[in-house]
Amino acid sequence: MDSLALPTCEPLIRFCGVALTLGGRRILDPIALDIGRGEFVCVVGPSGCGKTTLLRLIAGLYLPTEGQVLYGGKPVAGPRQDIAIVFQDYGKALLPWRTASGNVSLALEALGTPRAQRPARIAALLAKVGLAQHADKFPGQLSGGMQQRLQIARCLAQEPSVLLMDEPFGALDAMTRQALQDEVLGLAASSGATVFFVTHDLEEAIYLGDRVVALKPNPGRVADMFEVRLPRPRDQLATREHPEFLRLRRTLFDFIKEAEA
Amino acid sequence: MSASRILWFAASILVGLCLVAIWQLAADARLVSPVFLPGPDKAWAALERGIASGELLDKLLGTVGRMVWGWLLASLLGIGVGALIGISPAARAWLGPTLEFLRPLPASAIVPVAIAFLGLSEGMVLAVIGFGALWPMLLATVHGFAAVEPRLYEVSRALGLSRWEVIGKIALPNALPDIFAGLRLGLTVALILAVVGEMLASREGLGLWILLSARAFRAPDLFAGVILLGLVGFASALLLSAVERRALRWRLPPG
Repeated sequence: MDSLALPTCEPLIRFCGVALTLGGRRILDPIALDIGRGEFVCVVGPSGCGKTTLLRLIAGLYLPTEGQVLYGGKPVAGPRQDIAIVFQDYGKALLPWRTASGNVSLALEALGTPRAQRPARIAALLAKVGLAQHADKFPGQLSGGMQQRLQIARCLAQEPSVLLMDEPFGALDAMTRQALQDEVLGLAASSGATVFFVTHDLEEAIYLGDRVVALKPNPGRVADMFEVRLPRPRDQLATREHPEFLRLRRTLFDFIKEAEA
Repeated sequence: MSASRILWFAASILVGLCLVAIWQLAADARLVSPVFLPGPDKAWAALERGIASGELLDKLLGTVGRMVWGWLLASLLGIGVGALIGISPAARAWLGPTLEFLRPLPASAIVPVAIAFLGLSEGMVLAVIGFGALWPMLLATVHGFAAVEPRLYEVSRALGLSRWEVIGKIALPNALPDIFAGLRLGLTVALILAVVGEMLASREGLGLWILLSARAFRAPDLFAGVILLGLVGFASALLLSAVERRALRWRLPPG
């Protein structure tokens, strides 16, 4: 975190007129967006609005055809180890032939963590996501929620400054989703990581975020931004009954209905 | 669950015993002249005699050695070259047609070529086994390497894995189920070609033993050789399955 000595007003991630054309198709119109260090930004919008594309631009998996994505003031040129990605399809993102420990180990191996230090780090990371009991199980033996926890543990192994989450809980049942929402909030708060969270669930976006960015499709562009002034730590019952929560929920629903019309 | 499995296993043994019994009855009734078809009792006696004298054991070791070395040669080559081709779409495009031309060539058609270059030697037999057993391994490896889930490549990039780490830690384990399928097919082909090679090049082994026994009308010896060959195939497949189950235990159903 200290490696980037910048004034605090400087955003960690800055989109400067970033546009993307893939195969002759305009995916994103020029976008300007700043994300502050330690901020929890949620992105919502109808399908095809470029939510995931924005995430992949930060990750360096796509490079913009116009403009620049700045990370700590420097253009993003490709993936980097202090930016971790949690994919929605945990079933495809985990190595089925490695145990839970082995999957976390993969990130440490990539970082060049000495072999002797790995077991302790792996145990701590698995404990952090509540998988200590399942260290020797293969992904195929874990439930969906546990697999997604495992993917999060692997990302945390990178000790990322930025956690990119692409609809991470979209495929999970409601109870598991709420549990994981609270876990991610706790992990983000304790690590101080900046989180960029893509979701199609408006309530999830409000519940988690400091700010909700709403996108519009064809081509993708930022339509609006909403500051979420809800107290932290958030609570599944109290927060969701808060008048501000309900107000934002109404505003966002109206917005999406309009965008899809 | 396990009780029913034991029952099924017992039934399969029983079927085998019944077939042996029918064979014995047919031989006793002289449905076929005993010059060509000895009973299982005579074949068994010949087997015991051959093993006791050490003669059959030598032949057995000769054939198994040839099969294993030829198979290992084919495996190393098949997996190595298959990996190179599977990783690179360009290599796949360039080499694909050539491989498709070579692949369906019967190994027996290669034998005269191999004899021309290597003579009636041990090397010739190994070359033929290697060539014949190569294809299932090569094609399975190419397929396994080419069929890596694209998401895993993105994960590799996000984690910052090196190119070699991607090959060793992602692509190779991903190809392993395919590679094992290839290894199993290759093993069968290797045994067949070891026997054919011995017959053609007169190398000491079960193949030659069977051929000479047939020519000398020593039917019990012939059948003893065939039984041993069957056992070799059965045992090697069993061994490979055990290794496969261990290596691919992550594919087992939960529990």
